[in-house]
Amino acid sequence: MAPTGTVRVPSDVVLSLVSGTLGHSGPMDTTRSLSPRVRWAVPAVAAGAVAAAFLVPAAVGAVASDDLPAVTADELVDRVANAEKVPVSGTVVYTARLGLPDVTVSELQGAGPLDLLGGSTTMRVWSDGEDASRAALLGDVSEYSVVRSGPEAWTYSSADDEAVHYVVDPADLERYEALADEAAEPSVEGDVPTPSEAADLALAQARIYTDITTTDPVEVAGRSAYQVELRPQTDGTLVDRIRVAVDAETSVVLRTQVWSVQDTEDPALEVGFTDVSFDAPDPSVFDFSPPAGAEVREVEVPLPEPGTMEKPGSEALGEDAGFAVSGTGWETVVEVSDVDVEEILGATAEGRLPEGSTGSSGADDLLEEFTDAEEGELPGIPELDTQALYDQLTTPVDGGRLLTSALLSVLVTDDGRVLAGAVPPATLEELAG
Amino acid sequence: MSIVDTPVPVAPAAPARATARLLRSELRLVFGRVRNLVLLAGLAAVPLLIGTVLFVTQSTPVAGQGPPFLDRVTGNGVFLVFAALVSCLPFLLPLCVAIVSGDAIAGEASTGTLRYLLVVPVPRTRLLLAKAVAALAFAGAAVVAIAVVGLAAGAAYFGVGDVVLLSGDTIPLAAGMLRTLGVVGYVIASLTGLVAVGLFLSTLTEVPVAAMASTVVVAIVSGVLDALPQLSAIHPGLLTHHWLDFGEFLRLEVDASTLLAGLAVQGAWVAIFGALAWSRFTTADVSS
Repeated sequence: MAPTGTVRVPSDVVLSLVSGTLGHSGPMDTTRSLSPRVRWAVPAVAAGAVAAAFLVPAAVGAVASDDLPAVTADELVDRVANAEKVPVSGTVVYTARLGLPDVTVSELQGAGPLDLLGGSTTMRVWSDGEDASRAALLGDVSEYSVVRSGPEAWTYSSADDEAVHYVVDPADLERYEALADEAAEPSVEGDVPTPSEAADLALAQARIYTDITTTDPVEVAGRSAYQVELRPQTDGTLVDRIRVAVDAETSVVLRTQVWSVQDTEDPALEVGFTDVSFDAPDPSVFDFSPPAGAEVREVEVPLPEPGTMEKPGSEALGEDAGFAVSGTGWETVVEVSDVDVEEILGATAEGRLPEGSTGSSGADDLLEEFTDAEEGELPGIPELDTQALYDQLTTPVDGGRLLTSALLSVLVTDDGRVLAGAVPPATLEELAG
Repeated sequence: MSIVDTPVPVAPAAPARATARLLRSELRLVFGRVRNLVLLAGLAAVPLLIGTVLFVTQSTPVAGQGPPFLDRVTGNGVFLVFAALVSCLPFLLPLCVAIVSGDAIAGEASTGTLRYLLVVPVPRTRLLLAKAVAALAFAGAAVVAIAVVGLAAGAAYFGVGDVVLLSGDTIPLAAGMLRTLGVVGYVIASLTGLVAVGLFLSTLTEVPVAAMASTVVVAIVSGVLDALPQLSAIHPGLLTHHWLDFGEFLRLEVDASTLLAGLAVQGAWVAIFGALAWSRFTTADVSS
């Protein structure tokens, strides 16, 4: 309680100044020298300082770094295609402005792949550059994780405490080992996108039907990056342009943005790092085992037959019953016939009752028993009324139901065909006849 | 209240002692008030209530439903702390902050004691600070009460064990306790902005209820705005937007930048509304 005695005179003077001029108060206070106007200026200054503190870093971060050696667009595409795989970890922000009806359910159900339909989603990603990776979709006090490690993968949703274990079909395991290629990793329902996956899709189309240019270098997640811009040569597609930012040093894709013809200002789809590190993550990150008490589902994923490994081209699958591709390049429309939408939705709605219909683990187990057969084929959207979602997302049109979004149109006809493509809905209706 | 006995090192003898005395009396005022103690007890009863309900219903079909963490509680009592905090954050904790901070100046003004308080040879700035510290201490006590009662009730009803993170990974109980401590600290820090807002509103009026009510309204309006997707541009700056970021402590790797972003926003609200409260309080003519 006693004074320390280390008070130096200047601070004493300052203090008496402070107490005398700024604060000394009460009825007997007559020494106030700061006018009320000056006092009221303080909050204004504070507000200004706060605004500056929050806005200036953002403005500085947006400044492009232009001291990179120039590269041509083709070189850049090559670099991405042939980039050496490096470990990557960081924070990815995914933003979709697809113009879909709002079906955000994360407040009620926790984070899940459905969040990706609209709005902004933050993800944490880790990759060792080889065959192990992890992505966590972050919600308020919830998380949806996809952990891959070689031939197996896990998804875990914190909201319903459910883990799904995907393994390569034992019959195919040998072939998997022979391939030992990331192209052969088991496909996971409800997977989450990364900037590079989104870019791969676009760059696959890049060489044909597309104008490729480079823009000025940009800065993404604090790294200098080249940026390549792809513009479809046709105007029969919903895609206006795509920009891919590539790290100058490692050629890792840092950000992919896709603009729709409907809105050339804000990208309809944007997925990019806001924070990135190229240090190898702790291996324990990729080592997932389901928590005790969690519900665990096992799914065996057969490897695709050799030959169908590439993306379906118009010739490769043209004759295949029930599967047809029309149009080329950006105007490609995929048509699948003999799809019983009602059955898929019905089975799903029955198989995965919305949360709340059963709560006890006993009843859940019983449900599992009855629905086990279809489990593997069902869409990985847990515990949601799929029929309601379908009705909400699609609008009835002549002869079917139509899903329109800024980048993709899907037409489900009443005779069981599904047509999809990055084309205006009219094109689909025309094709469907 | 060890904070009271800590000498203020820089200040000269008389003001230091006066400030310490002032702070002590403010704390005594806040914690000695029956109304506030009832409030504290009520908040502490929330985890007890949730725990009891979960214990009674744990083998019925409705078990495992509700807000985040609720379904985890029956497996591990530690989660009762988080479930109770999630339940109290939208309304009860802001209410508690509002009652204490809204009352701080307006309460004294309405009873006519503010005039006498200002005769004490302590600058108004320091008086305001003492009020702020006392209000924050009460908010902190409320959060700690929820956490302690939650942990005790959770342990008694369901036992405690290794903590399953949101990512599905399991960490040992000791590490889990450390993270729980982090959660409590973050939640307390999250309330500082609202304390500043309440204090400012309290300097505007001589009717304490008005200040309390408007402080609650600020918190609720902030929550409403946060729920409107059309306003996503302003969401990151909202008072309540980062409150649930305490979940960061339950992720695989705790990302400091997420937590710091939330704290920075609170800092900004404290800076602006603290300055406003100071301007108002040091320029106001106190007549009652």
